[in-house]
Amino acid sequence: MKKIILAFLFNFPLFIFHSFSQETFPVNGTRENNKLYYAFTNATIFTDYQTRIDSATLLIKEGKIEAAGKGINIPEGAVITNLKGKFIYPSLVDVYTSYGLPEPKKESAGQGPQIESKTKGAYAWNQALKPEFNASSVFAADAKKAEELRKNGFGSVLTLQQDGIARGTSAFVLLADEKENKLLLKEKTTACYSFKKGNSTQDYPSSQMGSIALLRQTYFDAQWYALTNKVEKNLSLQSWNDIQSLPQIFDADDFLSALRADKLGDEFSKQYIIKGSGTEYRRMDEIKATNASFILPINFPDPYDVEDPFDALLVNLNDLKHWEMAPTNPSAFEKNNIQFAITADGLKDQTKFWKNLRKSIELGLSETAALKAITYSPAQITGMENVVGSLKPGLKANFLITSTNLFDKKNIILENWVDGISYKVNTLDVQDIRGIYNLSIAGTINYKLNIEGEERKPTAKIFFTDTVSIPADIVVERKFITLSFPVEKGKTDLIRMTGVAEGKELSGRCQLPAGTWTDWKATYKDAFVEKPKKDSTDNKPKEIGKLVYPFTAFGWSEQPKQETVLIKNATVWTNEILGKMEGTDVLIENGKIKIVGKNIAGVVNAKVIDGTGKHLTTGIIDEHSHIAISKGVNEGTQASSAEVRIGDVVNSEDINIYRQLSGGVVASQLLHGSANPIGGQSALIKLRWGLVPEKMKIENADGFIKFALGENVKQSNWGDNSTVRFPQTRMGVEQVYYDAFIRAKEYEKKLSAGTERRDLDLDAIVEILNKKRFITCHSYVQSEINMLMHVADSMGFKVNTFTHILEGYKVADKMKAHGVGASTFADWWAYKYEVMEAIPYNASILTEQGVTTAINSDDAEMGRRLNQEAAKSVKYGGMSEEDALKMVTLNPAKLLHLDSHMGSIKEGKDADVVLWSDNPLSIYARAEKTFVDGVCYYDSENDLLLRDEVRKERARLIQKMIAAKKGGEKTQKPEKKEDKLYHCDTMEEQN
Amino acid sequence: MTNMKNIFTFLFLIFAFAAVSQTPAKSQKKQIVLLNGTAHIGNGTIIQKSAIGFDNGEITFVSDVREYEIQYTDDIIDITGKQVYPGFIAPSTTLGLVEIEAVRSTRDFDDVGFINPHVRAEISYNTDSKITPTIRTNGILLAQVCPRGGLISGTSSVFALDGWNWEDAVCKTDDGIHINWPTRFSGGGWWAEPEPLKKNENFEKTLASLQKFFADAKAYSQKGQTETDIRMEAMKDIFSGEKRLFINVDLAKDIIEVVYFAKQFGIPHLVLVGAREAYLVTDILKINNVAVVLDRVHDLPVSPDRDIDQPFKTPKQLQDAGVLYCLSYRGGMETAGMRNLPFTAGTAVAYGLTQEQALSAITLNTAKILGIDDKAGTLEGGKDATLFVSSGDALDMRTNNVELAFIKGKKLDLDNMQKQLFAKYKNKYSGK
Repeated sequence: MKKIILAFLFNFPLFIFHSFSQETFPVNGTRENNKLYYAFTNATIFTDYQTRIDSATLLIKEGKIEAAGKGINIPEGAVITNLKGKFIYPSLVDVYTSYGLPEPKKESAGQGPQIESKTKGAYAWNQALKPEFNASSVFAADAKKAEELRKNGFGSVLTLQQDGIARGTSAFVLLADEKENKLLLKEKTTACYSFKKGNSTQDYPSSQMGSIALLRQTYFDAQWYALTNKVEKNLSLQSWNDIQSLPQIFDADDFLSALRADKLGDEFSKQYIIKGSGTEYRRMDEIKATNASFILPINFPDPYDVEDPFDALLVNLNDLKHWEMAPTNPSAFEKNNIQFAITADGLKDQTKFWKNLRKSIELGLSETAALKAITYSPAQITGMENVVGSLKPGLKANFLITSTNLFDKKNIILENWVDGISYKVNTLDVQDIRGIYNLSIAGTINYKLNIEGEERKPTAKIFFTDTVSIPADIVVERKFITLSFPVEKGKTDLIRMTGVAEGKELSGRCQLPAGTWTDWKATYKDAFVEKPKKDSTDNKPKEIGKLVYPFTAFGWSEQPKQETVLIKNATVWTNEILGKMEGTDVLIENGKIKIVGKNIAGVVNAKVIDGTGKHLTTGIIDEHSHIAISKGVNEGTQASSAEVRIGDVVNSEDINIYRQLSGGVVASQLLHGSANPIGGQSALIKLRWGLVPEKMKIENADGFIKFALGENVKQSNWGDNSTVRFPQTRMGVEQVYYDAFIRAKEYEKKLSAGTERRDLDLDAIVEILNKKRFITCHSYVQSEINMLMHVADSMGFKVNTFTHILEGYKVADKMKAHGVGASTFADWWAYKYEVMEAIPYNASILTEQGVTTAINSDDAEMGRRLNQEAAKSVKYGGMSEEDALKMVTLNPAKLLHLDSHMGSIKEGKDADVVLWSDNPLSIYARAEKTFVDGVCYYDSENDLLLRDEVRKERARLIQKMIAAKKGGEKTQKPEKKEDKLYHCDTMEEQN
Repeated sequence: MTNMKNIFTFLFLIFAFAAVSQTPAKSQKKQIVLLNGTAHIGNGTIIQKSAIGFDNGEITFVSDVREYEIQYTDDIIDITGKQVYPGFIAPSTTLGLVEIEAVRSTRDFDDVGFINPHVRAEISYNTDSKITPTIRTNGILLAQVCPRGGLISGTSSVFALDGWNWEDAVCKTDDGIHINWPTRFSGGGWWAEPEPLKKNENFEKTLASLQKFFADAKAYSQKGQTETDIRMEAMKDIFSGEKRLFINVDLAKDIIEVVYFAKQFGIPHLVLVGAREAYLVTDILKINNVAVVLDRVHDLPVSPDRDIDQPFKTPKQLQDAGVLYCLSYRGGMETAGMRNLPFTAGTAVAYGLTQEQALSAITLNTAKILGIDDKAGTLEGGKDATLFVSSGDALDMRTNNVELAFIKGKKLDLDNMQKQLFAKYKNKYSGK
């Protein structure tokens, strides 16, 4: 029973708020007048982010703005509040919250593969597609959370479920304590998307490229559903189509994902609003080119504890730099004239909202832009600018009363009015009792009392004599002032007094240490003079380190440029009929090899490099690489994932690009993994370190696709649960191929008739049949190699390359007859059963039998020593050195159809060359310079300078972090980061 | 059904491995003398034109060829223009404890339990592994074979890579105990979206259990016990120095802690394994006589900020600092890949070592660290005649070409399954 009474008492205030009437709801009690005018006078009003009116009036009625400005007539019977000295702003708008929504439902993941969706009903095939989700249908006000948000100044929010790839629609709601019927301003405000499958337990997609492919396919499926479908009801596709005209918000968790999302949108004429990550400042040119509006978080990282030099090593330069630069992200958007809203999303501690926003302002964000980003822009980009975000007549009466300028460090939000209802955040008016007083106790004792400090948080000091003083505890609450202090300096016995302020005088009752009661009085003598305080933040150096491209150690502060270079007197391995030429010069110009010859003279303006004693080769091409890929190399969840594209997820920020340049690598085929018989589409890139993914891709390159055979696609080594997905045998693998190619042929016919649903998986297979896309097939044992060539012959296509192909030596004659190339390891074997007969002589036998043979890495570490791997064929099988070098240069160029402009040192070909300290096949050789398109992307001497820059920049940031910690900032412990390195059998472990 | 399946797998494996491995070498009958080769002694010196004699499995003399008087009873082999080296030694391997990494039934290096000092690699070592003959053909003639996993993994032994059985092949029984130092960080996130490694909440607890076990084991080793604990029995020789203590540890700060841990328990022979950040704390290693079995040189730096060639140049940094170190090939695909150990030494030359220093890092230094330098690691009189002849520089893959190899004077069959397959298919295509 006690508990019930307590509950009632605590909840009492809520009953008051909830008693506001609703048109269709019966009233419990008597009618309340809620049609009064409220006027706020003499305030400085920001009617919108850019319009400041001093000594102005705001008039509201029935939850709406009636007028705001100067010379406004205040109707009779209005409730008038004089706000002299105070400010009024539109309440803040946050368009990225999950306010009032239940936690997304999480299905428990079973053991083993989950091929189908667990969503029951006539919905999408994939559990991560939930376009039918409607936030307004489950929205329920949350008084506690609303109060927390109002404290920060928010008056309305967009609320959405942050779960899944197609996340359905959001709702726009007020943060008042009313019935949902009044709070819900707009249902289905925006449609929402991401690349993260969230709580979906279905296997597909397991990678970001899979998420992209799923969205792409769903756009086509929805078009088909709207136009031609006569065979199925699909409530998800129905909803998808219904919400296409809404603003579309895409959650992109790093700046590369933002670029990827925008590119995907372009394919379907969709302009997403991008919910950013706070890392966009790293590539503003490309971010601007998206033309998207952004919703930016300001959850800036805390500094790390870096006093321990060993522990500090665990924090990478990009994290150190991000700590410093993250607060500059909003101002980068302002400088580039990109529309953006700011969200509190991602802040673990909501009280950091203002602190962080002010940090951004200190670092260059204008107050006008900041105000716009928290009021007008969020409303505007979600189509709510005529409802909230400014104080125009007719808009919701959502506004803040503040003690001073909103962005001033000392500002206090006093009241937050939402829907015309006032919510007190702090007491509107306090009496300023600061001053110098004569304190008299019991009319006999006389001390001097100084009340100083801040208006709302005064401090007190008692002077027993002119020179002997002691601080007194003072608490001011509403009208009451409570003071306590020792009777004498050095004693602990306290005099305790409470009184009220009336005019300039303070008076009340007090209790002496012995417990006797008496009166006290403090007479105002003089004003308190505020000493100008040194603002510690103003003295902090505002210096911010340089942006580097990419944003990691060894990134460029200035991108290297194409040069005219003359390399003199080197041993040149041409890979052409001239073979290895001693004492030869090579001139490169405009990114091409201009002249190869002896004693080239008469070249002006060329940078001359002495190649005496050194060797020059064309750059190494890695036919099989998994570096520079974001978020998953395998979409191995289905037997065929031909629809996924590595090109969608190239990662320009991978340090392995630079590391491989230092090993003479200039280009790589970024392959899908080998988890399924038909994998994904490859990307061919040049290692243009510092450029964005789209600029790394090799222009006009042919399309390639990964196929795979053997233990990986049979899931032989994936544990006892992975025995469900077809195929589990080599027999099944063959049938996957026949099925795919037969279906693709039929599909192509129907597609031209215009009745067929676009199927991106089959599109890729059709491209193979039409010689528009070429196969690189992961393979080990001879039977399966033979099998795929038979499938190809009977279906009318050719296999371009067998990769790994460790038993290629057993069927070299058949491979030669089929016309397929080989890309193999030098000496890997014995790591699984199917490689027990792999031999290091493989490349030599294949080459001898006339098969175009390359040596590849499939490994970020080996990728930078491919010259050594090639040299192993000199040992194993006695290959000539020139042929061995071709296996990592010309031959992969041939296999990738790049040999018309890459792969040898020949006039007119791309200036992708490497200067080596020694014979490139020697273990003692080091790449000294690596050029791609005539740009020197690696130079061993410059590398030493970059190391120095890394060291200095780290040292500077570490000093700055420690200073920030000393200045009182909360810190975080260093955590060790490990680079994620992919091999072709890297699989999803969990999500 | 499952049983049937297992039986089939078993039969399948038997047939698959039906090819006979190389026959162990026969004992030496008379003194063999290698004449005129360039002898790389292993201790930093070279004899350009050398004479190397060995008899009864032991090296009898190593000298300049001019000092050798021909004995007509000697079996003289002229190796003019060729290089002769002490057998390379691979420390910290699982050779013979695993045949096919992906096939569970062939994995024999990691037993159940957390503290297993008593499990011994020696008796599990498979002399008939198909991998071994492909290793020794690149000059590696000795290997330390180690249990892995848990906190205290077990006891290793050192083997010569030839023999009818483990008793026959063992070079040093139970040479050391191997510990995985607890890590301060453990994994987070998933592979496509890795999160930073989180602080390992169990670190202190794990460390405490290791401390306790050592304290108990030390007390146990000091006086007669009425009840036998075979785990602690296995630990006894660690404290006396008869066995060495190998601790796997990478980060600099952990290395410091390990050094003081060993000091606390008065461990005479501490060896760090892995030690990728040893280059940051060389002084403490040198002062305390701590040796290092360095992880694979062909590796990536531990973070993007490190010098891109850090793993390549770490040997040079340890060399300059005077730390006793050797090179290992531990890591992914370590057994089949071990034959590349000499080339990792070659890379260390490209990044600062001299060729003879790099050679020591896979011969003499390794022998010292494993405690077998009385019989292996250099070409010196009195040591085992475990050596090989290469037609060229054995640290460079282009020229590493082992033509002759001896283990304790026994001449090895240098054929292997891969050479046989090469020959088989060359014949197929040439129509023979």
